[in-house]
Amino acid sequence: MRKDQFFGLTGAVAIAAILAAAGPALAAGQAPALEALVASGDLPPLEERLPANPLVVEGDSIGTYGGTWRMGMNGGGDNGLIVKTVAYEGLVRFDRDWQTVVPNLAESWEANADATEYTFKLRDGVKWSDGTPFTSADIAFAVEIYKDPDYPAGSWIDNKNNPVNIEVIDELTFKFKFDKPNGMLMDQMASVDGIHITSLQKAYCSQFHPTYNENAAAEAEAKGFSSWALYLQDRCAWGWETIRFANPDLPTLYGWVIETPLTANASRVTWTRNPYYWKVDAEGNQLPYIDNLDMRVSQGGVEELTLAALNGEIDFQERHIATNVNKPLFFDGQEAGDYHLGEVIPSASNTLVLQLNFNHDDPVKRELYQNKDFRVGISHAIDREEIVDVVFTGQGEPFQVAPRPQSPFYDEELAKQYTEFDPDLAIEHLEAAGLTEMNGDGIRLMSNGEPAKITIDVISALRPEWIDILEIMQLQLAAVGVEIELNNIDRTLFYEKRPGNDFDAQVWAGDGGLEVVQEPRYYFPANDESVWAYKWAQWFNGTRPEIAEEPAEWAKEQMELYTQIRSSSSPEERADLMKQILAITKEQFPVIGVSLMPNSYSIIRNNLRNAPESMFNAWLFPTPSPMDPVVWYFE
Amino acid sequence: MVQFIIRRLIAMLLTLFAISFVAFAIIQLPPGDYLTSYIASLAATGDQVDPRVIENLRAQYGLGEPYLVQYWKWLAGILQGNFGSSFEWKRPVTELIWGRLGNSILVEGLAVIVMWFIALPIGIYAAVRKYSLGDYLATVAGFIGLAVPNFLFALILMYLAYTWFGTTLGGLFSPEFETARWSLPRIWDFFAHAWAPVLVLATGGTAELIRILRANLLDELKKPYVVTARAKGLPEWKVILKYPVRLALNPLISTIGWLLPALVSGSVIVSVVMNLPTAGPMLLRSLTTQDMYLAGAIILLLSVLTVIGTLISDILLALIDPRIRYGAK
Repeated sequence: MRKDQFFGLTGAVAIAAILAAAGPALAAGQAPALEALVASGDLPPLEERLPANPLVVEGDSIGTYGGTWRMGMNGGGDNGLIVKTVAYEGLVRFDRDWQTVVPNLAESWEANADATEYTFKLRDGVKWSDGTPFTSADIAFAVEIYKDPDYPAGSWIDNKNNPVNIEVIDELTFKFKFDKPNGMLMDQMASVDGIHITSLQKAYCSQFHPTYNENAAAEAEAKGFSSWALYLQDRCAWGWETIRFANPDLPTLYGWVIETPLTANASRVTWTRNPYYWKVDAEGNQLPYIDNLDMRVSQGGVEELTLAALNGEIDFQERHIATNVNKPLFFDGQEAGDYHLGEVIPSASNTLVLQLNFNHDDPVKRELYQNKDFRVGISHAIDREEIVDVVFTGQGEPFQVAPRPQSPFYDEELAKQYTEFDPDLAIEHLEAAGLTEMNGDGIRLMSNGEPAKITIDVISALRPEWIDILEIMQLQLAAVGVEIELNNIDRTLFYEKRPGNDFDAQVWAGDGGLEVVQEPRYYFPANDESVWAYKWAQWFNGTRPEIAEEPAEWAKEQMELYTQIRSSSSPEERADLMKQILAITKEQFPVIGVSLMPNSYSIIRNNLRNAPESMFNAWLFPTPSPMDPVVWYFE
Repeated sequence: MVQFIIRRLIAMLLTLFAISFVAFAIIQLPPGDYLTSYIASLAATGDQVDPRVIENLRAQYGLGEPYLVQYWKWLAGILQGNFGSSFEWKRPVTELIWGRLGNSILVEGLAVIVMWFIALPIGIYAAVRKYSLGDYLATVAGFIGLAVPNFLFALILMYLAYTWFGTTLGGLFSPEFETARWSLPRIWDFFAHAWAPVLVLATGGTAELIRILRANLLDELKKPYVVTARAKGLPEWKVILKYPVRLALNPLISTIGWLLPALVSGSVIVSVVMNLPTAGPMLLRSLTTQDMYLAGAIILLLSVLTVIGTLISDILLALIDPRIRYGAK
């Protein structure tokens, strides 16, 4: 047995030497466990498992196989950790600097001039984790299922304003066709949204759909589901839906495959390497280097996870545990826990965005909130330095809702305007907005004689510091005669109030500090998260026509510019148009920010190699996956 | 006695029926339903779902129907042993909850036993040696246990275990035993993990037990039959244990039924902090995500346990206290 292995190994090394001479992308080495399986005939040889042109992933150094990457999930519904760790495998991906779109499962693509037709070419010979080929038919099947109203997933594939139409040219080539130009498609497909299209294997998932299997309904019923659609969702859930990771039979294209699935009672979720993974290192060795992933599942608290990280039981993690409060604790524990801290730059621009409801049902409030002087007055009344010192122990700086300094769209004036603390100037602006009279409590009166009181909806469960910030703001604003009341509510209610238009203001973090073009919610009324102008956003994207309202002229101009961005296939032109949108944002100043979201940190075990010392953290750029954990290894 | 139990059983069924109605109403009280919380969680990650898709799901899940229709379907299912499906996990509820409830009963049952073992001797001692140093010490310790929130005690214990012994306290099993069958090493592993949560949960209730027992016993100790027993020369331990303690236990036994639900609801935060796979965290999560059949089943089963506990305490009382007789006028 030992001899066999020895010969297998030397054989592989010999082949590797020959192949290395031919080119770096050819098959060379594989994990010892797989080597043994090949030797015993349980697995085809490496050359047959790898594509003709595997994706080469470079790390700082060539690694060694083995080890288990330990991390932690917060509660059972933490599918986010899985997405960000293993599931980011779309047709294309972003480079590690989040600048350009680079090939992934597709080896090349072309767009026509008006961005209505995209032709993709897949890598030849990529296999699903069950060993069957990944082809255009799988993509066509995914398009078909996503467009099926019985399959409850919403994505760019079935975007009802501009859905994907697919034309399969051959096994590896296909075209996406759109009725309207779709200039941002590649950016969207390189983001986390891109994994939708590669998440369903036709051979496996079609057995649950009546179009392909006439007994689908009966089989679903036999399994205890009330309809075939529910059974299909259970077996083949979309992109990153939680229950997708509860089915170990579902073939995937990930670096690791599920060993212990994510179920309601799972105390850990474990993964083992995918023998058919289609990426190699610079010397042609099959990736990933790390054998197993071990995700411990907490019961909804992060205390145990924090202690585990301090104790050196976590190899790499940022999610959940890297809070502002824990930072000194983790800093001091570095030596004892044999780890060090890496830098993590958040994509969010701001710690708190105050969104006053421009579409308020009360005409007096609507007029007041739309009055720029009122918002400028509030902004000047906030002592941001105090908030940064008290709540964030001095980390961060006064900042508006604007692209972060790391972004090519950074504009200092947009980021810093109206941030100086100046109560006199604030009062001047508030009076210019018509709030000249005061009642006996020192609260200014609106034009209808009612006190200017803003009820602010907040979900403290999401970010406890929001309450701390708002309580300080409450005192600061009271000093200039504006009363704010905190309304700490549940997340569901928070969302329900939007279409019902039953709120004065809501707060959230400043998404879109780095992903400026893709997440412009605060720069103009772009989507449902543009809470400050919810009805205007509905007018723009048409999802709820019954409550849509015609926007102000400036907002319409921004929407027109954004429509042009969508239809442009040139990145330079899109950047230029976005700058024009931001110029209008600067002029209009729709939402009020507090401070720059401070950097976070990651816990990196000292023996983990190739892991990033600095990375962005975002949802669209689902780190750490874009930093290629498949080339990380333990020394 | 038999007649009494039968009458109690009938009352139990009616109570359970009422509880099921109220439980179902309570889980429907928050605004929205599972799908609104689902949309909210998707929206937080920047994802949006087409309203048509949601309407479709709502129909598939039967969420749009009136309250009474939904309740009736639920109840009819339960009578056939079907508690419905969890929306979040797309699995029958019965598949999900038994393991959790088992863990809950195990951990919290142990906590009750430990609580009694600590509280009974201390309570008796505190009553017999009233106003002694020991009585004061027991009182102070008991009140500290009562006053310190369980979760804080858990956190402190975890922190001390980390700084002093370099271990991470938490969970009920080591990874290698999590999915294993019960065996001697697994039982040992369980106790190696469970002592901490059991201790934490037990301290919260000890003070109350000590005080109740002490007060009851003080009443009894003054009674003439104790004096008589002493005068007749019975050994002191027999004088105290045979009659007064037995009577002083009455109020404790009659509240057995309430112990379990009190512990389950009190242990939610401890379970979250110490990462225990019990019913508490699952109930919490199902309530926040509005996974209503899952939440409803847990609430209903806890109620069943409470009602059964009450029945047991009634029967025990009749057995332990000869003065209590049923049926006779």
